[in-house]
Amino acid sequence: MSLIASAPLPATHWGGPSGITTFAPEINRVWWVTYLFAIPIGLIVIGLITWAVIRWHRRGPDDNRRPRQFQYHIPLEAAYTIIPLVVVAVLFGFMYGVENNIIHVKKNPDVKITVQGFQWGWRFTYPNGHQEVGSVAAEPSIEDVQNLPILRMPEHETVQFTLQSDDVNHSFYVPEFLFKRDLIQRVHNVVDVNVTTTGNYIGECTQLCGTYHAFMRFRLLVMTKSAYNTWYRSTKPNSITCAGGGNC
Amino acid sequence: MSATQERLAPPRAAGGYGPEPLLEIIPSPRPRGLVKFITSTDHKQIGLNYMVTAFAAFLVAGIMAELMRTQLIVPDNHFLVADTYNQLVTMHGTIMLFVFGGPFAFGLANYIVPLQIGAPDMAFPRFNNLSYWLYLGGFVVMMFGFLTNNGAADFGWFGYAPLTEAIHSPGPGADMWVVGIALTGFSGIFTAVNVITTVFTLRAPGMVMFRMPIFTWNQLVTMFLVLLAFPVLTAAMALLWCDRHLTTHFYAPSGGGQPILWQNLFWFFGHPEVYILALPYFGVVTEVISTMSKKPVFGYKGMVAATLSIGGLSMGVWAHHMYTTGAVLLPFFAALSLLIAVPTGIKFFNWIGTMWQGVITLSTSMLFCLGFLGLFLLGGITGVMLAEPPLDFQLHDTYFVIAHFHYVMIGATAFGAFAAIYYWFPKFTGRMLDERIGRISFAIIFIGVNLTFFPQHDLGLRGMQRRIFTYSSFEGWNFLNLLSSIGAYLIGIGTLFTVINLIMSVRQGRIAGDNPWDGQTLEWATSSPPPEHNFELLPPIRSERPLWDANHPDQLTEVGH
Repeated sequence: MSLIASAPLPATHWGGPSGITTFAPEINRVWWVTYLFAIPIGLIVIGLITWAVIRWHRRGPDDNRRPRQFQYHIPLEAAYTIIPLVVVAVLFGFMYGVENNIIHVKKNPDVKITVQGFQWGWRFTYPNGHQEVGSVAAEPSIEDVQNLPILRMPEHETVQFTLQSDDVNHSFYVPEFLFKRDLIQRVHNVVDVNVTTTGNYIGECTQLCGTYHAFMRFRLLVMTKSAYNTWYRSTKPNSITCAGGGNC
Repeated sequence: MSATQERLAPPRAAGGYGPEPLLEIIPSPRPRGLVKFITSTDHKQIGLNYMVTAFAAFLVAGIMAELMRTQLIVPDNHFLVADTYNQLVTMHGTIMLFVFGGPFAFGLANYIVPLQIGAPDMAFPRFNNLSYWLYLGGFVVMMFGFLTNNGAADFGWFGYAPLTEAIHSPGPGADMWVVGIALTGFSGIFTAVNVITTVFTLRAPGMVMFRMPIFTWNQLVTMFLVLLAFPVLTAAMALLWCDRHLTTHFYAPSGGGQPILWQNLFWFFGHPEVYILALPYFGVVTEVISTMSKKPVFGYKGMVAATLSIGGLSMGVWAHHMYTTGAVLLPFFAALSLLIAVPTGIKFFNWIGTMWQGVITLSTSMLFCLGFLGLFLLGGITGVMLAEPPLDFQLHDTYFVIAHFHYVMIGATAFGAFAAIYYWFPKFTGRMLDERIGRISFAIIFIGVNLTFFPQHDLGLRGMQRRIFTYSSFEGWNFLNLLSSIGAYLIGIGTLFTVINLIMSVRQGRIAGDNPWDGQTLEWATSSPPPEHNFELLPPIRSERPLWDANHPDQLTEVGH
């Protein structure tokens, strides 16, 4: 199973990203198990339907045959009730542990960042009070990525995000995380993410939040631990950096 | 012979079945045309009103979808502005679900259920008329939102609080959405009461519950779901209206309200709603497959049990729309959501069993049913994926979900509705639809649906989020969006073929006769269209397909297995 789990997967590799967090192999395994059942079952059902139509279709308007009028076959009916029940139970068993791991929150994370969403932008607050803020106001067009707010985080460390909304519901999603969580007022949402590769990614809000929902994106910079620490030490406590250089 | 003459002709020389004609005193003159449309309490007229209105709504919401796909055909497009796009997104979903999907099934329930159980009308004919007018009122009110200065509602069809609060969505468009949905909600509740009462009290002698056709069974279970779900929706809308106008704080966080409460209330309605939109069409498909295969429904009692368990389970899966909120118990809702695949699978195998060793007529209605099987299968499989929280964390609110539920909803609701139209149109009008145009229509729509929605799975995996009015060119979403938009145009063209077919055939179609498909259930035992009191004679009801028994006494259902 570990061999399969590390192999690239059609589901996420048609064009989608590979996961970059420590959970990526586990999530891949859930995909694999699901596919292992879904593809054969799908093919069998499609095959049976196709076979029935080809084999037993009426051959023209003059074909007035009438078939045998059978209605029940209890053993067969029992089989296609019980087998799917077993399949579903196995799927549940596989995904249950993974789900618990993903939503588990550590008591002592390495870095804590508060993520606040608002119409229509993001505010990232670091432990020293430094804020990175950016909104649609600074983006001249959807093609623009230079003026997006930047979220910096170190690799190979457990980063704990506290997710809050200033106004309506938003959702915090980086496709490469293979994970998202909503920002809802009066719901206390904390998630742990541990990224294993450095890189530059685009994050987005996935919950319709008003006119400029499409523009509510951010850049995620995953840095090496030392680069992150250098940057973090260079920020002034309680300072605010505005994306695009304007006021915010 | 025209359809009218056909109807006035004396009843068929009875082959000896049925004791004596039912009599009714008919005062004259009977209203016709617009007056009949407005005043009629005849379940068939009201059923047609529902179906025609719902189909018109389908076309309206379809045009909205075409506009949205045109906006998304290339990145950074400026065909529509953001607010217009959000209004279209909202109203497309709202109309398809509240004004097309459910009400078209209510129309079918109105027309077909009394006929299938041998009843002369619904239990409460005037109440029935009221249901229709509330429904039409709801449709008109929510559409008129487009005429207000802020436009129609623009917060998505599930209108998450607090975006729906007055400070975030000012203007009457949102209020008209609230009121419009509440009106369709009342309409649904009234229809449910009516259909349940009809099924429980007006069945013909011999029509015990386990001789009711599957379509009627499914409508019965659906109506119980309506009774459980719609009052919650209507109440949630009332609370929202209070938040907007009476400064209450049910959902408004500023005053201590809970935005998550809205999600719970809405989805407590919203998930049964999915089955309210699917079960009636499962019934349609069952009828069509059985008739076109010239066989009884395979595993009839298992089918009923599957419908009942889908109904039961559907009440306990609402929070699978809320996995990413961090506010629900994941394993419970995951387990129930996965479990619901089992009865749905039973239905699939029963449909296959019904076709097995049959003589299958590939009529247009049957083609739509086969299309339904293919689309719904894929939608079901992606549904199982989305029911698993680790995968849903990745896929939720992306285009993968859009692809999933369009495979489900187009597969079940739209293809089910098309199958119903092609199957029962002869009963409604006395005339056949053109089968050749029908097949062309089916082929174009089927290709179009797959071209539109299959690429959206991949778009979702690539991270394209729902309800964005534009996207940037560097994300790798361009080609798939182009394909998707071309597919959407194909669906539109294919639908036009059916619209033309309907318009032509209603006047010029071939005369159908009472029972053009060699149907098995009672709606085919009367004339097409049926007289006002429905039946002159009823065949004896000794199984769930009395007409087949009467027409083919040498080919009764085999006993045992």
